Amino acid sequence: MSGVILEGRDLRYRYPRGDEVLRGASFHVRRGEKVAIVGPNGAGKSTLLMMFNGMLRPDSGTMLYDGRPIAYGAGSLRTLRKSVGFVLQNPDQQIVAPTVYQDVGFGPTNLGLPADGVKRAVRGALRAVGLEEFERRPTHRLSGGEKKKVAIAGVLAMEPEVLVFDEPTASLDPAASAEIMELLDELNDRGKTIVISTHDIELAYPWAHRAVLMVNGTILQEGVPEVAFGDPALVREACLSTPILLDLCHELEERGFPLPARRPLSVLDMLHTIELIADRRHCCRERPGTIAIFDADLPEAGSLAEWLTSHPGASVGAMGTRAKERAADDRVPLHYTYGVVDKCILRALLGEDTAILTTGGMVRRVFERVEEYSRQSGVEIPVIGTGGA
Amino acid sequence: MFEEFLEEIAQENALREVNTSLKLAAGLGALLLSLLSIGYVAPLFIAVVLSGAILLLARIDPYTYAELFATPLSFAGLSVVAILLLSGGTGALWSWQPLPWLALSVTPGSINQGVYAFCRVLGGTSALLFIALTTPMTDLFVVMRRCRVPVVLVELMTIVYRTIFILLDHLARCYHAQVMRLGYSTRQETLRSLSTLCGAVFIASWNAGEDLVRARDLRCYDGKLVVLGENSPVELRPALAVAGFLVAAACVTVLTGDVAIVRGGP
Repeated sequence: MSGVILEGRDLRYRYPRGDEVLRGASFHVRRGEKVAIVGPNGAGKSTLLMMFNGMLRPDSGTMLYDGRPIAYGAGSLRTLRKSVGFVLQNPDQQIVAPTVYQDVGFGPTNLGLPADGVKRAVRGALRAVGLEEFERRPTHRLSGGEKKKVAIAGVLAMEPEVLVFDEPTASLDPAASAEIMELLDELNDRGKTIVISTHDIELAYPWAHRAVLMVNGTILQEGVPEVAFGDPALVREACLSTPILLDLCHELEERGFPLPARRPLSVLDMLHTIELIADRRHCCRERPGTIAIFDADLPEAGSLAEWLTSHPGASVGAMGTRAKERAADDRVPLHYTYGVVDKCILRALLGEDTAILTTGGMVRRVFERVEEYSRQSGVEIPVIGTGGA
Repeated sequence: MFEEFLEEIAQENALREVNTSLKLAAGLGALLLSLLSIGYVAPLFIAVVLSGAILLLARIDPYTYAELFATPLSFAGLSVVAILLLSGGTGALWSWQPLPWLALSVTPGSINQGVYAFCRVLGGTSALLFIALTTPMTDLFVVMRRCRVPVVLVELMTIVYRTIFILLDHLARCYHAQVMRLGYSTRQETLRSLSTLCGAVFIASWNAGEDLVRARDLRCYDGKLVVLGENSPVELRPALAVAGFLVAAACVTVLTGDVAIVRGGP
């Protein structure tokens, strides 16, 4: 995380014949960060996002990209929009072409790529969002989640550095939302800077590196989520409610329980905190269970079925669309489809074995996440990579 | 919303992955031969073979196919009755003069003429349905561009195609909202509801246009609206099948031109 990539200085904006929607907002986004802009409807989140790629020009104040003020000429805007990809809230407003291939290929074609370059870009982008077989499907027949992914792929195909999402999970069901958030994590893991706007504070709290709390066109609070959402009065002012884990911590603290400085971000963290309070080292068996990781892209992932026969009763989780498809193909029943790593660590702490089916760079991330937990908690959870992972 | 229905079937037919040009060649070739044929056998042959292909190869539901066929067939039936009774000729097999100025007669000539017309309708309809049911519009755009149809035209068609579904969606939603609030309970209400529905759809189409402009700008639009996907490659077996079918149909057309169902007459 080095260097500021997007910066806004005292941005003000008024829609024609309307109220001022941005009243002097200043903020910055660093390279490689995950930032959530959180606020109620009408707080000016979308307006702010639209300034990131020059769709709106502030009435006063400066918007900077990579340290330079944005220029609003047609040419410079094109360059900016190549670097700052924007995914609208409603994918129907973003999809321009009748088939998935044509839509995802729109950006690359207009960037002047030759036909085979476009093909490569489309393949890569569709693979990244897990829609490989969808090239010739007509866009109007996709489900809400699939449309969203096509819209994301259309932006990814232009290889932007920053991805801006306006309400990425609006009108998606919980499973599709979880999948989109997982995808955002994966993209961030590959080095993309990600900014989202949302009014779902529970969603932003564990996800974001930094959060910006916004209301009435101004920024109330900014910082790591526990700071941004840490002041109940400010959160209330933003017509939101404190994330339940933070709330629980406040209540525990008020009752005189000593809590670690780092606030819990997940059930797993919370469990750890409670164990510390209860002074009970690990409500788990003597020996934690093993987490086995399988790479769904490799043919050997089939050995998951064998693993399951030798570990009856073990739970299986899948991360990413391709892994879920693979599980369906191999008729492997899935117990966890989101929050997979945390769930598996929780099972492991109870002494149960679990398997995680995932793909590509996520394999490494699972390893890292479990190791990080082992380091923090002092419980060594054995992780094995099977099937090439 | 029948158009959507047809396009949906085409998107899912079992011949979807066959090269579009091949399917078009089969359909258009069959249509042309049906029109050129002077006998009734060739169109009948084409109708039988293509219906077989639609039902067995493309796996279109027979009931749906029959339904689609029914409308043109009923028109053809009416025309055939008219031809049969009114075209006249020599050697009448049956005649009746209900009014002084109206003579109805069935002659060998009129029978031949009627059967010929009917079979041509069968052949032509099955050829058109073959194209409509096996080739979705989205695949046709690719072929059109390759056949040098002007870019502007293809662009317009893709925009219209994309927008139709957005507007249909909007239309359906507005309509349902009106029905739920008893918008069509009386004649006066119906009139009022219909007019607001038209207005709403007009505004929706306006918005769709603005959305398109914004979406284009978001994605670095530089004058290239149409990106074409690829056509499936021409494979040997379907190519041979289409060639075989067209040659056979052409032979039947040439050889059976003078076969008549009833001898006698012109």
